Amino acid sequence: MRKKGLFTGMASLVLAMGVMAGCSSENGSNGNNGGSAGSPNTGSETKTNTAAAADPVKLTMWGGVPPEAGPQAVVDAWNAEHPDIQIEYVRYVNDDEGNLKLDTAMMTGQGVDLYVNYTLTQTQKRIDAGLAADLSQYSDYNIDEKMGADASGWKIDGKFYGVPTTKSAFFVALNKEALDAAGLPIPKDWTWDELRDYAKKLKDGDGYGFIQHTEPYVDPIDSVLSKNGYTKADGSSNLDHLQVKQWLETLNGMMQDDKTTPPLGEQLTSKMPVEQEFLSGKAPMLNIGAWLLRSSNNFTDFPRDFTIAFAPVPRLAANQADYMTRGGLGDYISINAKSKHQSEAWEFLKWYADGGMAPMAVGGRLPASKDADQQAALDSMLGGKADTYDKDSLMYVMFENPTPSFVRNLPQEVMDMRQQEYEKYFLGEQSADDTLAAMVKRHNEYLQQNK
Amino acid sequence: MNNNWMRRQRMLGYVFIGPSMLGVLLFFLIPAAYSLGLMFTDYKLMNPNVKFVGLDNIVRLLKDDMFYKSMKNTALFLLAVPVSVVLGFLVAVVLNQKIYLKKLLRGLYFMPYITSGVAVAFVWMLLFHPKQGPINGLLRSIGVDNPPGWLSTTTSSMFAIDIIWIWFLLGYNMIIYLAALQEVSQELLEAAKMDGARPGQILRSIIWPLVSPTTFLLLITGLIMTIKTFGIIQAITQGGPGSSTTILSLYVYQNAFRYYDMGYASTLSWALFIVILIITALQWVGQKRWVHY
Repeated sequence: MRKKGLFTGMASLVLAMGVMAGCSSENGSNGNNGGSAGSPNTGSETKTNTAAAADPVKLTMWGGVPPEAGPQAVVDAWNAEHPDIQIEYVRYVNDDEGNLKLDTAMMTGQGVDLYVNYTLTQTQKRIDAGLAADLSQYSDYNIDEKMGADASGWKIDGKFYGVPTTKSAFFVALNKEALDAAGLPIPKDWTWDELRDYAKKLKDGDGYGFIQHTEPYVDPIDSVLSKNGYTKADGSSNLDHLQVKQWLETLNGMMQDDKTTPPLGEQLTSKMPVEQEFLSGKAPMLNIGAWLLRSSNNFTDFPRDFTIAFAPVPRLAANQADYMTRGGLGDYISINAKSKHQSEAWEFLKWYADGGMAPMAVGGRLPASKDADQQAALDSMLGGKADTYDKDSLMYVMFENPTPSFVRNLPQEVMDMRQQEYEKYFLGEQSADDTLAAMVKRHNEYLQQNK
Repeated sequence: MNNNWMRRQRMLGYVFIGPSMLGVLLFFLIPAAYSLGLMFTDYKLMNPNVKFVGLDNIVRLLKDDMFYKSMKNTALFLLAVPVSVVLGFLVAVVLNQKIYLKKLLRGLYFMPYITSGVAVAFVWMLLFHPKQGPINGLLRSIGVDNPPGWLSTTTSSMFAIDIIWIWFLLGYNMIIYLAALQEVSQELLEAAKMDGARPGQILRSIIWPLVSPTTFLLLITGLIMTIKTFGIIQAITQGGPGSSTTILSLYVYQNAFRYYDMGYASTLSWALFIVILIITALQWVGQKRWVHY
């Protein structure tokens, strides 16, 4: 009896699961319908098309930004204007797995027509594999002229394999009220030593004066080496440059002696949510990039009661003239060289760069092209919150900073081994000199292997 | 006639194992053979030009400091297995007695094994937080001035991972031991008691030898599973800080799917295979001395 009860119980469970699965798949397909009909006119357009002309060309664009943070609006606007070329946006997460997914999709010919690169490290692999079209074949759009001097960092052997589309600023975000209270001006050009002083003066009790996002963490080194070369004249590693040591020792001093910045071990293992630390007012200075605006415009999740001001990333170089800063431009969009519709993709890309991308501003992405309406984009980026930002310093880091920029183009292997070694240093496992020696040794081995 | 029948039986057997053999062939044997071939090439995932490089990858492996480092980390990681087997045994013995809330406790111990790895990872990261974490909070409140940094230092991180892994395996080991304990004959235990054996003696000299086949099984499966695992480390530390938690399997993963260096990754994974083979062979040889069937 009991057994039978159990059996019927199981059977009904199985049935219930079947029904649920049925429901969910139904929901799924409903969801899909909803998605593609996101703009109500898409459906009707396809209809008129099939009635009027040949099938529209369908393009797929892969990018790392969630569709709701801009891309969907961009694509919908294009699709409404261009019934003959319909774009679909696919999001990939910009991490190892996501990039692997994109690369496999391209290698196996799964119809990727356009894709966004976020580092040259990734782009280089794609060029080597013959998956990035050389855009110098098109003469109707001068990338250098449109995007300005910063675009040249994205050239590989003098050629563009993509269009850098956004202003991509890296900066130190500042709590303006905290700076005012301490009587500190907003710097337009400063060194790491000056930043260290600021952090000391701004430190409040047990809190930190300065925190950093892990993405631009290592930029000071890359700044030095972009300027002076990653290798010496004889082809050996230049990772033991004096200013690299200076960076190690400055930051270490801030962690251990001043206690103005979190020890790296603590930051890494707790996955410190730096945006939240800064926006809640706990830390007055944050080294980050334009994506901060995604959070800082979001007052629901990140309520904030202070004004954000912006300073350029400080330099290690003694002279301003020797300094390069990261960024300038970003979101490097390439056309898959294996795509069957490259000219259509190119049409879309030009439109996107020259202002079609305006809806992306909500997520902190301003168009780089001189022909785009930057003021409008800036307004939409700041939304209704313009008065919670210090406009002058924002304009300075976004548009006016004359410092030449670099684009990081270092193989992942070298980035990782460098990181392993400096982590050991910051965790007190090896001295600064040993760290430099280890970096150089491993870099040389890598260079040797990949000659 | 009889011969014919035998042959038909045999054919039928092949038909039955056919589908699963096809799976093994497609998803295991062929890829394994393929990766053996890749060992001798410089194949990079995105690079269409593949060259045969002979033994270069093996030479590189032998000279690669990171390989030795990852072997050392793997050895430290494997320490978790015997510890959790012994703990699992002790917990099973306790929960096999007549005690309060027995079933609930059994369930609780088994929970980690069926919990999502990523959730587990995040909970442990919070627990281990060097400043605000409850573990160090407790240690400080009982007077430890300098509690360990757990995941945040290069010297302690591998042990912190070990603790998580012991906790993860414990429930499974306990369940298997509970089953094994049901097989221990009550007569033997009663006879031992009659002869005046103390509980400790019974545990050590009667129960432990009687469940030794189970111990052997748990050790072998546990070691193999542990040596292949990297998900939990990838979720918690990504091999850091420094390279202090980069175990061999994670190093394979990084070379393959972060650097796209398939040739070298294949070499590393064959090295991993050889390590597993050696460990298992050693255990087979060693078992004769302590496993009693």
